[in-house]
Amino acid sequence: MERKGMVARFALTSLVVLAILGVVLPSGARSLVVQIMIFSIFAMGYDICLGYTNQCSLGHSMFFGAGAYGAILSVMSFKLGLIPALGVALLVGFLFSFLLGLICVRLSEAYFVIVTAIISAVFHLLAMDMTWLTGGDDGLSATIPPISRSISQLSLYNPYVNYYFVFFFLLVSYLVLKRMIGAPLGRIFISIRENPRRAHFLGYNVTRYKLVAFVLSGVFGALSGALYAMTLRYASADYFSFYWSVLPIVWCLIGGTGTLAGCWIGVALMSLFQYYVSAWFTHYLLLFGILILIILKVSRRGMLGYLVGRGTR
Amino acid sequence: MTENGNLLEVAGVSMHFGGLTAVDEVSYKIGAGEVRGIIGPNGAGKTTLFNVITGEFKPSSGKIYLKGEDITGLAPHRICQKGMSRTFQLTYVFPEMTVYQCVWVGVYSKARRAGTLFFARADRLKEVADKTMELCRLVGLEDKRDELASNLSYGDQKVLEIAMALSTDPVLLLLDEPTQGVGPKEADSIVQLIELLSRRMSILLIEHNIDIILRVCHNLTVLSNGRVIADGSCEEIGRNEEVQRIYLGEITCS
Repeated sequence: MERKGMVARFALTSLVVLAILGVVLPSGARSLVVQIMIFSIFAMGYDICLGYTNQCSLGHSMFFGAGAYGAILSVMSFKLGLIPALGVALLVGFLFSFLLGLICVRLSEAYFVIVTAIISAVFHLLAMDMTWLTGGDDGLSATIPPISRSISQLSLYNPYVNYYFVFFFLLVSYLVLKRMIGAPLGRIFISIRENPRRAHFLGYNVTRYKLVAFVLSGVFGALSGALYAMTLRYASADYFSFYWSVLPIVWCLIGGTGTLAGCWIGVALMSLFQYYVSAWFTHYLLLFGILILIILKVSRRGMLGYLVGRGTR
Repeated sequence: MTENGNLLEVAGVSMHFGGLTAVDEVSYKIGAGEVRGIIGPNGAGKTTLFNVITGEFKPSSGKIYLKGEDITGLAPHRICQKGMSRTFQLTYVFPEMTVYQCVWVGVYSKARRAGTLFFARADRLKEVADKTMELCRLVGLEDKRDELASNLSYGDQKVLEIAMALSTDPVLLLLDEPTQGVGPKEADSIVQLIELLSRRMSILLIEHNIDIILRVCHNLTVLSNGRVIADGSCEEIGRNEEVQRIYLGEITCS
């Protein structure tokens, strides 16, 4: 119980700090924080998959890319508004993750990892190849319509609007996911993570619940991809690449799997590292790899897991 | 219940793994309220039989009926929903969940209400909470309900296993060596629990300890090399010479 309280307090504090930061930060740092918030949505969704049902997917770049293209293409080709375009992105993410999940979730651990990785690699190649649709490596740039057509000031071109638009979705994503984790669904997820066979013998269709978790994480991945594309006004086939599949794992491992908000630390750490260290050291990922090893050596449950664990013992 | 009152009927079930026959043409019946023991030397196919009955394996041949309904080849969660529940030989709990949560998951499985799955607060479902507490009380884990399952003693984990099996409200409970590896005092309280439960439901019990078998079981099925070699009341089995030779041989000879 106390553990839960600490994680919730951490999340609440972070959200308040983020709400204030939007006003006080200089523009460079502000866009960095926007990026952190967007990735945090991706990471939280991924945690449902990895941290709550123990499915280590290497295919989530698909959902990120699908969301990004879903949003950009509906804005470009179908002239949809911003909110409908987000809706399309979520729908595309849902369809992708549902279909991929149908194939993958019944596979056992190692096969699951490999098959998700292979399928997303296929989609990466397709996205690179189908330049008429995706623009390939060069990508597509789009003009993003204002949030509400009647108030043209409320547009993502305004950095403050962009910041609080993304913040709003981070907040909503967190609240929705937290509620689900506190609901029977979350308990069933955890029981499946702890012992899938036992959960099966307690009357749960484990495959179906794994699929639910997979789809949830896919939808939030797509939301994150859509927000990213809308913030950059750009999507490219690179969003489907393996890099974007590995990132969420790294974020979750650093922050602590199965804590929902813990991955925010991972995202923040990685983004800051990328931004500041890469300026003076090209091979910053090498240093980052070492940092991950050290963190996991100290605590298998990541940074938040470590802090919380120490609080109770 | 069928016309002849059999809760579970296992009819000629065989299970082959490649060339190995783990269970060979096993048949028996369990009536309502019956406690049946399954005994036999190590490797006789007792646990495999449990796995086949509860849906882990689809039998190579034969049929299984629960309450007269054919359940052969159904998935474990379906069979559980139909009222059969089991424990496992090695403790099989949810290590990082509290005792209360472990039981809660099973209770919710049976008491699922549409619309509560995604957004209801788990701890505010009163019906489920009451049932969970009642079960914790029944098995005597009330004081330890907020302990992580992995922090419990081995004996308490065995008890928790039984509570989890009970949480889905079974009509037939399958216990796989519930007192194995447990100290005599804890074993005694587990046996008392089984005696209490036997008044409410039918029980199928795998157990090596003959004293416990004689204390709680009405009837016995004796397995050896995957085959039923004897079936009957405890007294009949005790007089059966083949059983004495195969199963009790070690004791009478030494």
